[in-house]
Amino acid sequence: MNTFMLLLPETILLVFAFALLALDLIWKPRSNTLAIIMLTGALVTLAATIFVWMQANNGVIQLAVISTDGAGAVPMLAMDRFAMFFKVYAALTVALVGLLATDYVREKIRYPGEFYALMLFAGLALMLVASSTNLVMIFLAFEFLSITSYLLTGFMRNDAFSIEAALKYFLYGAVASAVMLLGFSLIYGATGSLDLHGIATGIRSSDPSIIHVLAIPAIVLIIVGLGFKIALVPFHQWSPEAYQGAPTPVTAFLSVGPKASGFALMVRVLTVAFPAFARTANTDWVLILTGIAIITMTFGNVVAIWQKNIKRLFAYSSIAQAGYMLIGVIAIAPQFVGGVPPIEGWDQGLNGLLLFLFGYLFTNLGSFAIILAVENKTGSSSVEQFNGLVKRAPYLSIAFVIFLLSLIGIPPTAGFIGKLLVFGAAIKQQMYVLAAIGLFNSVISVYYYLGIARKMFFSPAEDTTPIPVSRSLNFVVTISMVLVLAIAIGAQPFLDWVSGSTQILATVF
Amino acid sequence: MEIYLFFLFGGIAVVGALAMVFNKNAVHSALFLLLTLVMIAGLYVLLNAQFIAVAQIMVYAGAIVVLILFVVMLLGAELGESIPRWLTLRNSVMVLLALVFLTVSGTAVYDWLYSTQPITGTVTDEVIARQGSVQLVGESLFTQFLLPFELASILLLVGIIGVVVLGGWRLVQHRQRGE
Repeated sequence: MNTFMLLLPETILLVFAFALLALDLIWKPRSNTLAIIMLTGALVTLAATIFVWMQANNGVIQLAVISTDGAGAVPMLAMDRFAMFFKVYAALTVALVGLLATDYVREKIRYPGEFYALMLFAGLALMLVASSTNLVMIFLAFEFLSITSYLLTGFMRNDAFSIEAALKYFLYGAVASAVMLLGFSLIYGATGSLDLHGIATGIRSSDPSIIHVLAIPAIVLIIVGLGFKIALVPFHQWSPEAYQGAPTPVTAFLSVGPKASGFALMVRVLTVAFPAFARTANTDWVLILTGIAIITMTFGNVVAIWQKNIKRLFAYSSIAQAGYMLIGVIAIAPQFVGGVPPIEGWDQGLNGLLLFLFGYLFTNLGSFAIILAVENKTGSSSVEQFNGLVKRAPYLSIAFVIFLLSLIGIPPTAGFIGKLLVFGAAIKQQMYVLAAIGLFNSVISVYYYLGIARKMFFSPAEDTTPIPVSRSLNFVVTISMVLVLAIAIGAQPFLDWVSGSTQILATVF
Repeated sequence: MEIYLFFLFGGIAVVGALAMVFNKNAVHSALFLLLTLVMIAGLYVLLNAQFIAVAQIMVYAGAIVVLILFVVMLLGAELGESIPRWLTLRNSVMVLLALVFLTVSGTAVYDWLYSTQPITGTVTDEVIARQGSVQLVGESLFTQFLLPFELASILLLVGIIGVVVLGGWRLVQHRQRGE
């Protein structure tokens, strides 16, 4: 397959983003026209991604530009199935968030062309992060994603909350990027390689008594940078403000897009470059991540109980969910002690992570579509606005209950399957304490998730006028609901897909 | 000879950095920052990295320090407070953390210098002397590192869009749309 064909999804996104900017500049079309162009771009990208995924189905394909003087190729992007999973995810995210945003953008956003173009650029960044295998490329792709996220967060230039959110996000993000870059420079100094495989080789061939002095600080610093993007405690401080202040469609994007690519990068960097430090005698990244996962789950759930703003509540909810997902990363590790080739069933936690993320995408975007509909009508994102929603919008209320059940992890929803796999993997690796804390946290989360459901069904509404739902929001809610149920009921094809996506990581040793 | 120049440049850089931190006058601080950056550029030259030295002077000394000076002068913040009681718990923790990082990076350099592993890679001192550092950087930038290079250009474009959206809001008239 032609190298340029492999980059087809990225190229299409780029072309559509440029086309949007140019059209907006020349003809100043209506916001809806721009939305249609943007959605076309996202859907064509999705089709192209699936096409490339079917072509690039076997083996690792590394993209590199070969130097003329024979200095050798430096692999930059991996077009493996793991990356393709996250590219499908990115294309879906962009398409659904674009659809979700159409009404909001038409009414509230001053520069629709730039907004939609930035959404496509953000999709491009998600795709590039997922396939980067070189530290230079990883850093650039990661910064690309961060900068588009900051811009989208601060897009409501006249809204003080939006600007405050963007500024906080930017300041934390800049520090996190600098810290991660320091980690990269340490590991480059230690192994002399920028390539992830090269780093693993460099670690294996160096003196084991010295290398951990540099590698462990590097791993810690890299985890800080990634933890910021995923919003893991204690690097989460930006997220409640950013979620609350950002335009609501952007909040929906932030809660799924950067989180998924943070996990993609975490899995790729830790398993490809640092399998030797998964479990060592003194310190290892399994231990670090276990600590982070426990704090993240507990903190997110406990603080979410007191939230009065639905966007803030979802910020803490997404922190807690990230904690559960992290268990999936932790549960893969014991298999490759010292970097030996992994044994059968090593990737159950990873499969759980991917399926969890995929279900979470639809659960959260569906929830945010409902939040948007309520916010459009009432002009507020307070939890009180959901009082008596069942009389004002019965369909939305029922859909929201399904999404909330999925967030708790009650069958038959996608959240249940994700949690089942992730916790199951932890139990299989004899991490009973971790699994127990995860289950205990799920119980805490029932309180605030079902609290919203109780408000919708049993609290009287002050205003009983029906909530109008536009066709685009209705579509997002319906398709999300169908998929949340489909992933749980017809789980097998999805399971095959995710386990096919993670297998590739096993062949890198 | 090189070692004397190293200590000259390095020493002035450290003194400049300290002077920058402890100076009351923000403009003087910025100028000391400039001094430090130029001295670090000198260190790059000693390391046979001429391209990075030139880039350092152009980007940091040329653009960034000028920008800092502009901001300082426009805000009229030349005279800051007198040196505060800086020996607080928080500052001590920060200094401690800085020292930890210094130790770690020092270990990296030490490890690298005294390791028994041979230095790998095709770019040796002879190659640099034959071809020139700038040419080598340019060549690998446009061949091996072409993809990151292109990505950086898109990133800059996004940055420009961001400046227009976030910064130009007062200047640009609200565009009248037909809706």
